[in-house]
Amino acid sequence: MNAVDVRNLSKVFNQGRPNAVAALIDIDLSIEPGEFVSLIGPSGCGKSTQLRLIANLLEPTTGEVLVNGKPAGQARLDQDYGMAFQQAALFEWRSVAKNIELPLELKGWDKAERRKRALEMLDLVKLPEFGDALPWQLSGGMQQRVAIARALAAHPPLLLMDEPFGALDEMTREHMQDELLRICRETSTTVVFVTHSIPEAVYLSTRVVVMSPRPGRITSVIDVDLPPERDVRTREADAFFRGVTEVREALRGIGPAGSGGAP
Amino acid sequence: MFGLALLLVAVSWELYKWLGPQDGGTVFGWSVLPRANDRAMPHVWEMLARYAEPERRDTGGPIVLVVAAGAWFSLRLALAGFVMGTLVGLALAVLMARFRVVERGLLPWLVLSQTVPLIALAPLVVSWGGRLHLGAFEWPRWLSAAVLGAFLAFFPVAVGTLRGLTSAPAASLELMDSYAASWRQTLFKLRFPAAVPYLVPALRLAATASVVGVVVAEISTGLAGGVGRLIIEYAREATADPAKVYTAVFGAAALGLLMAGFVALADFAMMRNRPREAIE
Repeated sequence: MNAVDVRNLSKVFNQGRPNAVAALIDIDLSIEPGEFVSLIGPSGCGKSTQLRLIANLLEPTTGEVLVNGKPAGQARLDQDYGMAFQQAALFEWRSVAKNIELPLELKGWDKAERRKRALEMLDLVKLPEFGDALPWQLSGGMQQRVAIARALAAHPPLLLMDEPFGALDEMTREHMQDELLRICRETSTTVVFVTHSIPEAVYLSTRVVVMSPRPGRITSVIDVDLPPERDVRTREADAFFRGVTEVREALRGIGPAGSGGAP
Repeated sequence: MFGLALLLVAVSWELYKWLGPQDGGTVFGWSVLPRANDRAMPHVWEMLARYAEPERRDTGGPIVLVVAAGAWFSLRLALAGFVMGTLVGLALAVLMARFRVVERGLLPWLVLSQTVPLIALAPLVVSWGGRLHLGAFEWPRWLSAAVLGAFLAFFPVAVGTLRGLTSAPAASLELMDSYAASWRQTLFKLRFPAAVPYLVPALRLAATASVVGVVVAEISTGLAGGVGRLIIEYAREATADPAKVYTAVFGAAALGLLMAGFVALADFAMMRNRPREAIE
């Protein structure tokens, strides 16, 4: 059973009206458990839309999305995936531990179980002493760790991430990439990751999905030829640069990136 | 700071009294400057001294007790009005946040409602209340004044809370959606907490508005016992005893401050864990 199955998917916004926009057409994508798949492309290529369709935050116009073999809507109800955004979107009135407990609370877990799991998650993201801190007392990178801990609190098999490190500085970003790989390895989580950054996509992924805009579609899928264990040396390896070049050329084939970044 | 501001008001009052024209200033027959004589503007110390003297000449205890009793009576009405107004305001805000169509249909009417003068509304509320008989329930006279206080108090709460409920960031709302949270869960776990910084200033306005509503309602419905009634009674004696009316006026002002103080306490309790730069 695949972690994600996207079949013949398309999404038209404002369908039937003069301002209709075809955001995605003819998307087919299968993701196996344990894979790390990045979606990359210029602004307006529909990568965030595709992520939201997998998350069932949007309804497809045609086609279907299966998560863990279930329709996406059912998977959402079952909390089969966790999600992280560019903004950490922590609730500022809740302590860090209480933020991590949020999905469990909504599922009706009891208090002691919730607290126990939150502490485990804090250990996982290496913030064990910050459970009682308030979100605004943490740095941007630490807030993203908490967001990841919250996304994985219910132990979902799938993690959906929309440019989660986009607002971080370069050094923090590289560190967070290593942390994310470690966490996913320890929890054997499948990841779908939207990004603007070519090196980030190559460093993290087993596969990079290159998309083009107007209308959004998949133009190529690149297998990254790097060992599963990655570290500082990987960033300087020839295979890494070959991967970066391959993705860059695939992106060049579809013309210059649109001006500005996706929100 | 507050003491200093109070002192400044007293000083400028005395300064004007010293410099201003005794019989008021007129320009082309229009009187533009208030009279500074002792009958129109008693000295600050005369007002304060008046508190120690009896209400009626030479009989009874000091007037401060009468004013305090009146303020206590009005405070209870204002609190009742504040609570009713806040509950109605919250309920309306939730309805408007839940249903766009309710917001579009209702909000203009809410704005319009605040343009109706309270003086015009007061006798209506009293007469509607008087006709209301629900089983053993008899509409007490004081309830009309509390309702009029609520009438002024609900508006800032409704508007402020609506703004707060819709202020939750898009990413937080998507997050709740991704957890398949119900509207109710999103309301209590996200929208209400996100609305708190908007609610606090709204409650402050509502607290003082409920005092104004109650005082005006006491005056225009002739409800006895409160500080509003004292103001109108004492004002009639202004020529003979000019300092007397100010004792009641300050009583009403203290009432407003007390209500604002309650809200400040609530503010402190609710905003304890928030980043300081959150809003305002």
